[in-house]
Amino acid sequence: MDFFGNLAMGLDVALSAQNIFYCFLGALLGTLVGVIPGVGVLTAISMLFPLTFTLGPTTALIMLGGIWYGTTYGGSTASILLNIPGTPANAVTCLDGYPMAQQGRGGIALFMTTVASFFGASVGVILLMFFTPIIASYALNFGSAEYFALMLMGLVAASTISEGSAIKGLAMVALGICFGLVGMDTQSATGRFTFGSLGLLDGVSLIALAMGIFGVAEVIMSVRRIDRSAIDPETVKLKAIKPTRDDVRRSWFPLIRGASMGSFFGTLPGTGPSIAAFLSYAVEKRIAKEPERFGKGAIEGIMAPEAANNAADQTAFIPTLSLGVPGSATMALMLGALMIHGIAPGPTLISSQPQLFWGLIMSFWVGNVILLILNIPLIGIWVRMLMIPYHILFPSVLLFICIGAYSTTFNALTVWQVFFFGAVGYGMRIFGFPGAPMLLGFVLGPLMEEHFRRAMVLSRGSFTTFIERPVSGTIMAITLAILIWGVWTTIKQNKRRARMAREA
Amino acid sequence: MKTLKGMLAGAAMALGLAGGALAQGQDYPNGTVTLVVPYSPSGNTDIFGRHLATALQERWGQPVVVENKPGGGSMVGTAYVSQQAPDAQTILLTTSAYATAPAVYKDLPFDPATDLKPIGIVGYTAYILVVNADTGITTMEQFIEKAKGSDMFAATAGLGTTTHFGMEKFLSDAGLDLEVVHYKGGGDAMVSILSKEADIYDTSVATAGDQIKAGKLNALAVMDDRRVTALPDVPTTAEVGLPDVQVRQWIGMFVPKDTPDELVEWLNSEVNEVVTSENFAKIVEPIDINIETSSIPEVKERLAREMEKWVRLAEERGISQPQ
Repeated sequence: MDFFGNLAMGLDVALSAQNIFYCFLGALLGTLVGVIPGVGVLTAISMLFPLTFTLGPTTALIMLGGIWYGTTYGGSTASILLNIPGTPANAVTCLDGYPMAQQGRGGIALFMTTVASFFGASVGVILLMFFTPIIASYALNFGSAEYFALMLMGLVAASTISEGSAIKGLAMVALGICFGLVGMDTQSATGRFTFGSLGLLDGVSLIALAMGIFGVAEVIMSVRRIDRSAIDPETVKLKAIKPTRDDVRRSWFPLIRGASMGSFFGTLPGTGPSIAAFLSYAVEKRIAKEPERFGKGAIEGIMAPEAANNAADQTAFIPTLSLGVPGSATMALMLGALMIHGIAPGPTLISSQPQLFWGLIMSFWVGNVILLILNIPLIGIWVRMLMIPYHILFPSVLLFICIGAYSTTFNALTVWQVFFFGAVGYGMRIFGFPGAPMLLGFVLGPLMEEHFRRAMVLSRGSFTTFIERPVSGTIMAITLAILIWGVWTTIKQNKRRARMAREA
Repeated sequence: MKTLKGMLAGAAMALGLAGGALAQGQDYPNGTVTLVVPYSPSGNTDIFGRHLATALQERWGQPVVVENKPGGGSMVGTAYVSQQAPDAQTILLTTSAYATAPAVYKDLPFDPATDLKPIGIVGYTAYILVVNADTGITTMEQFIEKAKGSDMFAATAGLGTTTHFGMEKFLSDAGLDLEVVHYKGGGDAMVSILSKEADIYDTSVATAGDQIKAGKLNALAVMDDRRVTALPDVPTTAEVGLPDVQVRQWIGMFVPKDTPDELVEWLNSEVNEVVTSENFAKIVEPIDINIETSSIPEVKERLAREMEKWVRLAEERGISQPQ
């Protein structure tokens, strides 16, 4: 069947009354789940999973998909307005989004992130439409050595995420890596730092760490700010959310860069929206002409990560549908929904189930358009949320964080972890240590180790495997270049500052 | 509708008969029954558990709910059930990880051989050995020939998983000295075979089926005592000279050790009847689970054999680390 014939068929499927309803439902639920910090997409999809038994496979996937990409639309809301990330992938949006809200530009930030999310998602869907088989096969070129090289590049590139003292940032990355060590070793059956607890054998929970360091710590910090006059409701009336020309001009390239990075990381199983968002923020900060603006309300700092995480969301379907390989726990749930109906994802899916595949893709368009239209008027509602008195709002946030954390493992230990990291995060705030690098170290550290050790097993102990293999070698070369460039710019900056100090 | 009525009639009859067995004053189930699945939602075991819960709920007239308690390779949920009251209101629904994980996880807060009693084994998934089709290897003979003395790699879905132990048994029996590489989960392991990073992997028909159909993978043998209907041309391991290499990912149910034996026997017959009903087999077919029934002594003996086999294998191949 020719390409446009496929699109037409897909549109037909996506626009059926039942599918539009479930798409809308999924998108709405997803946004809601994203806005509420702590309750994550995995929880929402797990809870609604039994519903898919009764729906047909296409409809089930449309709904689950809507929830999946809807969460990253909503996740930026809490990040911007409350400085508490809605999902771990939105943690970087806090860094520039919240300062924007404090400057009275919260409405603009919310509007622009919705646009960024739509842009990123569109790029992702276009890739899905045209390039699924090609991308699926190139993704197979990425073995353990390549993944390690990628993670290393990410760590080097993102070492500038924090502002302020570089030493503090690096210390936090190291601490994050240490927290990532907890759990059972993948290559030998040794438990590390588990203190005899079975529950810790699977490691520290990402939700617990992210919500603790960012969310609970923020709640504790804001005790001092009971009188929340930080956000003026006037700033979020519909006319006030129109961005300035400057904002729009600055946003184009970050959007494109973010969407590209996001699409790339989404297609690799095992990496996902969080890594994509972090790295695109880091890249933007690196190549900005005025990096000092970041952390103080730079629009690039929210456009790039939001485009990245939505693009990653969409392209995550590529390995899932075409290889049958889920890139993350949530994608595994999607696969489960397919398998219940006896559909095995794999290379033959596109040809044997064209209605499912194309219907799903077209529903992504429909869903993203719905979300775009839905989110703009909702901005006003979310800001009303801020008018809720502190003593009701923040305890509710805490409650949701605990519920969300508990629902990932149904184990009280996870909730204790939230409180532990909340205390750690509070301490970090008091002493001026940045939280984003810790999250980065925690996510990338274990991945790096796993891939490094496996690459070494596969190369039988030869370190040169990382340079010998073409893709890995290229990535290492880029990493070296980034490292050298970083050192050079720092030296240049220090010289400039020294000169300015002398002239002053 | 006919089968539903038939099922209900059968259930009513069974209940009537079973009522006799319970006449000694046990009133079970007494309230909500919890089926603990020690895995995250949406895995095959979880889906099976949910279908079973629905069927049991219909049969018993009491709510039967599934609770997920993932972690520690299923050991967290298992430990949880071992500490519950011995009234069978909490039942563990787990996989063959019950037998393999203890060989790897040494510091368990319970003893899998004695702290839980089996109700029965109700289903299994057959595993097959697959290689990348590009290698041109289509039979086990060819593979063993090429693999002897080579530096090929064998992939597993993780330390202590059924795929791991299956692979070790295969390598040991076939006299191959391949390096075993662990991945994090079946998805990653599949990618490794597709990308030719590793050379052989053992997995379920459901996971590999589509790739085999598309000609990307070749199945060399079924690690079971009978062929699978989905792949009728693939020989069993016995047919290629490796009769002991049989690994089934089975699904079994357990209760805490002090649960009264009569109750456990009754549960065994109840569950056996439910899973052998025509409707049920049809429901679980898409998730690649074959139904089986068992008696309690059978299961106890089989469990003991398996656990001993895996512990021995773990020690021989140096899988478990000294703690």
